[in-house]
Amino acid sequence: MRKLLLALTVMLFATPALADYTLIVPQKPGGGTSVWAQIVAAEWEKHLGEKIVIKHIPGARDIPGFNEYHNNLQNDPKTIMVSHGGNGVSFLQEQVDYNYADYDSVGLMNLNIISGIRKDYKAGDKIKFAAGSGMVPEGLAIAQLLCGNLASIDAYTACFKDKVIWVPGMSGGQRRLAFKRGELNGTRENPAAYKKHVESNADAKLWFTHGILQKDGSHADDPNYPGYQFEILFEKQWGEKPDNVLYPAYKLVKSFRDGLQKALWVGKGNPNLDHLRKTLTAMTRDPASVKAIQAKVGDYEWLVGYRGNQQRDTLMTFVTADALKTLVEFNTSAFGLKSVYKPELIK
Amino acid sequence: METILALIAGTLYGLVIGIIPSAGATTGLVALFGVIHYFTGEPYLGVVFLMAVVAASTTGDSFAGILLGIPGANSAAATMVDGFPLAQQGRASYAISAAVTTSTANGVLWGCLVFLLLPWYSKLLMILGIPELWAFMVLALATVGFVSTSNWIKSIVAIALGIFLGLVGVDPETNAPRFTLGWFYLQDGIQLMPVVAGLFAVPELVYGLRTGQTARIAHNELWLGVRATWENRWLALRGGFIGAFIGLLPGLGGTMADWMAYGSAVAANPKEQFGNGNIKGVIGPEGANNAQKATSMIPTVLFGIPGAPFAAILMALFMYLNFEMGTPDIAADTEFFFSLGFGFLAATVLVAILCLVFIRPITHICTVPYKYYFPFLLFVIVWACMQYTGTLADLAVLAAFSVLGMLCKHYRFSRPALLMAFILADKIESFTLQLASLYSVGDLITRPIFMAVMLFTVGIFAYSLKRKGSIDYA
Repeated sequence: MRKLLLALTVMLFATPALADYTLIVPQKPGGGTSVWAQIVAAEWEKHLGEKIVIKHIPGARDIPGFNEYHNNLQNDPKTIMVSHGGNGVSFLQEQVDYNYADYDSVGLMNLNIISGIRKDYKAGDKIKFAAGSGMVPEGLAIAQLLCGNLASIDAYTACFKDKVIWVPGMSGGQRRLAFKRGELNGTRENPAAYKKHVESNADAKLWFTHGILQKDGSHADDPNYPGYQFEILFEKQWGEKPDNVLYPAYKLVKSFRDGLQKALWVGKGNPNLDHLRKTLTAMTRDPASVKAIQAKVGDYEWLVGYRGNQQRDTLMTFVTADALKTLVEFNTSAFGLKSVYKPELIK
Repeated sequence: METILALIAGTLYGLVIGIIPSAGATTGLVALFGVIHYFTGEPYLGVVFLMAVVAASTTGDSFAGILLGIPGANSAAATMVDGFPLAQQGRASYAISAAVTTSTANGVLWGCLVFLLLPWYSKLLMILGIPELWAFMVLALATVGFVSTSNWIKSIVAIALGIFLGLVGVDPETNAPRFTLGWFYLQDGIQLMPVVAGLFAVPELVYGLRTGQTARIAHNELWLGVRATWENRWLALRGGFIGAFIGLLPGLGGTMADWMAYGSAVAANPKEQFGNGNIKGVIGPEGANNAQKATSMIPTVLFGIPGAPFAAILMALFMYLNFEMGTPDIAADTEFFFSLGFGFLAATVLVAILCLVFIRPITHICTVPYKYYFPFLLFVIVWACMQYTGTLADLAVLAAFSVLGMLCKHYRFSRPALLMAFILADKIESFTLQLASLYSVGDLITRPIFMAVMLFTVGIFAYSLKRKGSIDYA
C-alpha cells in the first residue's frame, strides 16, 4: 500500500516531460485505440525500461493526429505513432497527409473482424446494419453475399438499397444495445468484443468474417471461426467464387482496415527502431503482457519488425485504379458517403 | 485495513481531481493506467480504489463552479449558474454544503439501488429502444424553454444559435463537412469545454475583474445548506432521478442530465427567480451527476457497454484486474459487486465528510481579491481548453466563445438555453436518423412508453410557451 501511495504522489506531479517515449494516439481518452495504447504502453514499459506517455491528438475521424505526426513529429526519435483500422480506411478514400509508405513499422496486430446476425433473421428480410465509414468493408461484403456476382456498380447499388437498411448516426454502445434488442439484425465486432457482445448473446449467431491477411496477399480462413470467411460463404451460397466489380474494392478496404487494425510506426531512419522492435518482441513473448492485450482485442498474432513493413508493402499492392474508383463510387451511390478518388496512391 | 486505505487513497485522489477545473472522473481515471498494476495481486482492492475515485471526483467537481465560476467538469456547469452568485454574495459555504449534501444523498440512494439491484436492470434496458430514446431527447429539448429568459425572442435566438453550433462538424449520413467554414479542426464538432468555459467562466472572470469585486465569507452557513437540501428534498430527488435515467442509457451524457435537472427545477418553481443565487438552482442539478455515475455502471457491468466516457476507461482498468465486464463470470462474482458498491458508497460518504469539515478553509478562496487570482484562473481555463489538441485552434475556439459569452451576458441572451441546445443538437439529429431508418409511424403508435413520453413532451412544451421565463441569468 505504501508503494501505491508513492505511485499516486508521483502520478499527481508527473509531467510528460519526464517521459522517454511518447505514443501519439489520434483520438480522445476512452476510445478503443486509446485504451489499447494505454494497455500496450503499460506492458511495453516493463521491457523497454523507459517511461512511455500517451499523447492524445483527437480530431475528425481520427485524421488530425496522424496528420500532425506526419507533418511535425515523425522525425522525433522518441515519438511513436499509434494508428488503427479507421486510419487505413481514411487513407484510401479521404484527403489525408499521412502515408504509410513513409514510416517503418515497429509492430502491428493483424486482426480479423467478425460479423454476427440475429437468429430470427429469415432469408428475404432486410438486413439492418449500423452505417459509417468504418463499416464500409462490411457493407461491401453484405452487398456481395446478398446479391451474388453482378456486372455493374449500379446493379449492386440497387440490390443493396433493396435488401439493406443502412442506419446512420449510431455510436458503438448504441449499436450494441440495438443489436441486443433486435432493432438491428446484423453487427460487427473485433474478436474480443465479438465474444462479449455476440457470442454470448443467445439470440445471435456467427455470420461472416473477413479472414486473416497472409504474406502472399491472400486471406486465410480464421481458425477461431472456421468456414465463415467471406469467400468461402460466397462460394457456398452462389456456387462460384466472388468475381465481380466490387470484389477488388472489398479486398482493398478490408485489408487496409483489418491488416493495420492496431499499428505502431516511427519515421524512417529512426535510430531507436531496433531497440523498440526488440523490446516489443519481448513484450509479445511475455505471457502476462499477451494476456492483458488479448483481453482487449482477442488472440491474434503480432507482426513485429520487418514483418510489419512486409504487411504494409503487401497492402500497397492492392491499391489499383479500378479498386479505388469502385470504392469511391460505391461509397457514394450505396452508402451515401462523400469519398475522394486519390490517383496519387497508385504507383 | 487495506480496504480502508484503498478507499481513503481513492477518495483523496478523486477529490483533488474533482476540484481541478475541467478534470473530472474521466481524466482522473486515465492517469491511473500507470499505477493499476499495483493492484493486480489484490484486484478487489483495486475495484474499491477505482470506484472511490469516481465517487469522490463527482462530488468534488462542484467546488470550482461555485467558488470560482469555472465548472470542475463539463457536467458541473449547471450548478454554477446559481452557485457562483451565492459565493459572490458571501454564501459559498451555504451553496457548497447544499451541493455536497445533495450529491451525497443521491450518490448513496442511487448507489444502493444500482449495486443492490443490478441484475434486475437488464430487462429495463431491453424495453427502451430507439423510439423511447428519441422521445426522451425531444422531451429534453422541450425543457430548454425553461432555462430561457423572459425575453422570448432573445431566447429563441439563443436556442437556434445553440442548435446551429451543435450541428457543426460532419453530416452523419454523408461524412461530409458541415458548417466548418473549410476549417478541418471543426470537423470533429465544437468541443464542449471551450464552449462552457467561453460562455460562462470567461465572462464572469472579466466581469469580476472590471468591478473589482471580492466576495465575503459572511457566515458559516454549513448547516443552513444541509437544511436547505432537506427542505427541497423532492427537488433533489427529482434531479437524481433524471441523472439516473440518463446514466442508464449509453450515449446521452452527464452534461445533459445536469441541465435537464436544472431546467426541471426552474420549471417546478415558476414564481421564483433563478440565476442570481437561488439555492434551488444548486440543489436541483447537483445530484444528477452522482446518480448518473452510479447508473452508468449498469450497462457497463451487465453488457460491457460503457454508459459514459469514464465508464469506458473504468472497463479497461478493470480488465487489468482480470474483471471482464458483460460476461457471465462477472455477473456471478459477488465479491466484485460488493467491492463496487462499497467503494462507491463509502467514498460518497467519506468525501462528503471531508468537504463539510474543511468547508471553511476552502471557501476562504472567495475572499482573495479578483486581481490576484484572475491570472491564475485564466491560466487554468486556457490550460483546460487546450487539453483537446493543444494547438492554437483550441484557443481560437475559446476566444470566439468568450466573446459570444460576453455578448450574451451583456445583451441578456440566455447562455444556459444556448448551451443546452448545443448539447442536444447532434444527439437529436442522430436519433432522428435512426428512428426514420428503422420505424414507421404505425410502429411508433403501438409503443406505450414512446407515446406517453411524447404526450408529456407536448404538455411541457405548451406549458413552457404559456409561462414567461423565470431565470434571471443570461
